[in-house]
Amino acid sequence: MKKLSTPFTEADIAQLDVGDMVYISGYIFCGRDAVLPKIVNEVKTDRLDKKIDLKGNVIFHTAVSPAGVGPTSSNKLEIEASMIPLSDAGIKMHLGKGKIKEETVAALAQRNAVYAVIPPVTALLESKTTERVCVAHEELGMEALYRVKVEDYPVIIAAAKGRSIY
Amino acid sequence: MDYEKIVNKVSEALVTAGSTFSEDKIRAYKRAINRESNPQSKWVMEQILENAYVAAQNRGPLCDDTGIPHIYLEVGKNHSVSGEMISAIHEGIAKGLRTLPGRPMAIKGNDEQRLDQSGGLNEDSGALLPAPIQIRNVDEDVLRVYVLMEGGGPAIRGKDYRVFHKHSVDTVVAEIVEWAKEAVAQLGCSPCTLAVGIGRSHYEAAAMMMEAQVHGNYDIQSNLEKKITDEVNKANIGALGLKGDTSVIATFLKVGPQRASGVRVVCLRPCCCFEPRVAFTDL
Repeated sequence: MKKLSTPFTEADIAQLDVGDMVYISGYIFCGRDAVLPKIVNEVKTDRLDKKIDLKGNVIFHTAVSPAGVGPTSSNKLEIEASMIPLSDAGIKMHLGKGKIKEETVAALAQRNAVYAVIPPVTALLESKTTERVCVAHEELGMEALYRVKVEDYPVIIAAAKGRSIY
Repeated sequence: MDYEKIVNKVSEALVTAGSTFSEDKIRAYKRAINRESNPQSKWVMEQILENAYVAAQNRGPLCDDTGIPHIYLEVGKNHSVSGEMISAIHEGIAKGLRTLPGRPMAIKGNDEQRLDQSGGLNEDSGALLPAPIQIRNVDEDVLRVYVLMEGGGPAIRGKDYRVFHKHSVDTVVAEIVEWAKEAVAQLGCSPCTLAVGIGRSHYEAAAMMMEAQVHGNYDIQSNLEKKITDEVNKANIGALGLKGDTSVIATFLKVGPQRASGVRVVCLRPCCCFEPRVAFTDL
């Protein structure tokens, strides 16, 4: 079982293959369909808050509510469309669930980024999450962009090096 | 019956439904983990089971989609249900949602605002209204309240439609299997439990589907239920869609009265890996 901590290096990601079961730790970002298009737009127009450092980081496709966190479908239009521009901005792992398009798989590989899936195990994830801070678009409530600190989140690499587990 | 006592009992039932795997479901997962040959799917199911232990210990949500509350009453012949009692049950649902806590997902506003979500979300977990109550007469000497928590993913992938049966059980089963293969593959949060109701109208089929969730048992599977489960498992969808031997853990089927005509109305819900989330309390 591999273990990785954020921020990930290029080498950390280059060693990953489809099917790898990995525990990830450190600070990661959480956002889903409401906030990700806004973040993409801010990255493209250089308006993203400078305190939000995406380099080597993870975007977990989830809301952050009093009930906890859990993956939403990453193949939702707004979410999958965010993967390539956010990889260009430094994100190395997109974390969610469900099958993504072949062209997204190929484009992630070109940027040495991966897509991983995480079981929807909210209670377990809650026991492995120690900090939650809203860092952008607070007006979206549970669908805002959050930074959370995690310890050994269980993930499976679902797309890497141009190959998909689906 | 004391009003506050009903509120507290229903609240506790909701928290139990949202946080606890039944003993038969735990046994079913253990069996599935033991026979799973795909390492990724096996690992996912182990995580799901560990999640269930943590959720039960903390009395906290199994999943961040904590679900829409549905209430199902069983009323014995010596019992009655009053308007005040229903008020207390509803108050117990709100209290349970705040205690679990439920995800705050009640949409505010008029009809149009609720449809396009322009009215915003109510931040109170307890503002989530339950679905209309179902009631059954039973022989048992009870007044029993079941609380079911129904998530959004299975609602998106479920199907409610007529089947031309051609006087053949196999025809109906084959249709259910085809629907289920598509629904389970799309769901993502597999392995599923298939809840299936068959009735004379769409209302009745949905009611039968809910009843199947209330009374389904992972240790007791009819031949029809086993057949549906086995056929869908041949699709090699696996946990989280990662392929494997277990796409479906069990099928809960309730066949209601049927009419003398060419159709059976079937309602299928591909319950996610945590569902049915159901618990009861006797008032």
